[in-house]
Amino acid sequence: MDAHAATPDKSSDSALELAESLPHEANVEVNASPASSDAIEVGTSSDSLSVDIESNSALTNLSGNELGLPEHRINNNFSIQLKTEAGRFLLILPTESQVPAAEFNWSEFCQQLKQRLSARERWLKPQTMLHLISADRLLDTRQFQELSQALNNFQIQLKSVTTWRRQTAIAAVTSGYSVEQQPQELSLSSAPQTAIAPLADALYLETTVRSGVDIRHPGTVVILGDINPGGTVVADGDILVWGRLRGIAHAGAAGNPQCVIMALQMEPTQLRIADAIARAPEKSLVQFFPEVAHTTPQGICITRASGFSRSQLSKIEQ
Amino acid sequence: MTRIIVVTSGKGGVGKTTVSANLGMALAKINRQVALIDADFGLRNLDLLLGLENRIVYTAVEVLAKECRLEQALVKDKRQPSLVLLPAAQNRNKDAVSPEQMKSLVSSLAPKYQYVFIDSPAGIELGFKNAIAPAQEALIVTTPEISSVRDADRVVGLLEAEGIKKMHLIINRIRPVMVKANDMMSVQDVQELLAIPLIGVIPDDERVIVSTNRGEPLVLAENPSLAGIAFENIARRLEGETVEFLDLDVPGDNILAKLRKLLWTKIV
Repeated sequence: MDAHAATPDKSSDSALELAESLPHEANVEVNASPASSDAIEVGTSSDSLSVDIESNSALTNLSGNELGLPEHRINNNFSIQLKTEAGRFLLILPTESQVPAAEFNWSEFCQQLKQRLSARERWLKPQTMLHLISADRLLDTRQFQELSQALNNFQIQLKSVTTWRRQTAIAAVTSGYSVEQQPQELSLSSAPQTAIAPLADALYLETTVRSGVDIRHPGTVVILGDINPGGTVVADGDILVWGRLRGIAHAGAAGNPQCVIMALQMEPTQLRIADAIARAPEKSLVQFFPEVAHTTPQGICITRASGFSRSQLSKIEQ
Repeated sequence: MTRIIVVTSGKGGVGKTTVSANLGMALAKINRQVALIDADFGLRNLDLLLGLENRIVYTAVEVLAKECRLEQALVKDKRQPSLVLLPAAQNRNKDAVSPEQMKSLVSSLAPKYQYVFIDSPAGIELGFKNAIAPAQEALIVTTPEISSVRDADRVVGLLEAEGIKKMHLIINRIRPVMVKANDMMSVQDVQELLAIPLIGVIPDDERVIVSTNRGEPLVLAENPSLAGIAFENIARRLEGETVEFLDLDVPGDNILAKLRKLLWTKIV
């Protein structure tokens, strides 16, 4: 993460820019933001012991537009979803409009699935039936075989497949799964991305987010465990870390600056809320408290959780 | 029940092969039947560390191609007959084998041995996937450097995703003097980050280089070095014994002693 990658002529201007004057873009190109993070420490790396609310903040706000981010913004928070709906355990693949076929990497998907399953292993009951919703995604028999192998490790059985594609349906039937083939209709998930989608249900994971793991979710994320350096969590809602936050956390990734990041121990590589980016002070702290990161007109601030009361929350919302 | 253990790290040059060779030898010394598999196709080294290079006739690739029987490819150690090496091919690359082939290779090898160690190549690509495919447990080797620990963390995540839950940490090349001076990550720092149980700490030792070049694993030395003893202790811990961690303390200081005490309390 090169914090000084952007061109120098822009860094001086953007650092002085206030959050309020920035256009709040709906979808931040998340992958591009690291390059744009010419974050300059404007806050003071003051002693965290002070009772002052804004104890250790070091931040600057940057607008995507100013840094020449591409115009077409993709919300790439789409990843696989595991959820229970009407008593059915569902695995929902991102549709092709969410993740283009060319960018859909099957082995990475399998990896992601295994990580998500192991992060909720404590609640998985053996011999659970899983229903796959592959929508408009093309899957072949080899992929179904790999999928069922991955699921078998967690004693989960693939039961049925819901698809719009004929080929996927044939592959599923060949592999012995029941198929619900639906004609492609304009459902919520296939609606154009400009439609305002409600925030997804919170994602609760019991795991250590290790280096290289990338958790993306179009809702709030709760991590029971640490986020290690090199690990990333990107959420459209809030991020709660019941553990140490040492990696990158991006809350309100769809552009909501009211989102917050909470951690028992806040030592992030970088914090991002909506389109604001902050990086931790160079000096590491000696003592840690549960802390909350939120945006203010001056950028991202970190507040001790004990001082971050309801009244504080309502103040932000105004 | 055979224990199939992959020795891996992510980063290269942290001591995977040294650990494999010495642990294999240490276990063979206490009369365990041990098979070492070099999974580093194209860049094999394990045979050199064991001093067995000139005894290799067939390799794993020939076994898989059914050009020879498995027994023909196994190289029996010249000093410890209960240790065998299954060498990798040097003239091929990682694409020469698939995870399924590795699984079948190990499953046909497993019944005769108590321990099967798989020496993984660096990286997280096909070679790594081949190495971890047959494994039931893993030894993660890391040096107390930020890059090595970061890579180890990645590898731990990948192993967890593959369902390999039994993992132990070996911290290699630690220099107590530098740790004391706060110039090196401490055992505690590394352990805190990786959050897997520690099974051994090996001090940095020049004799490792000598032993590598001679093809004589440290644990075979007449008067074993501190590193050699550390390897023997790891072997005993693998056997289920509770062995106290080595006193790597520099005289006249007790910071480490305190630290070790802290660590002991966490280790089963």
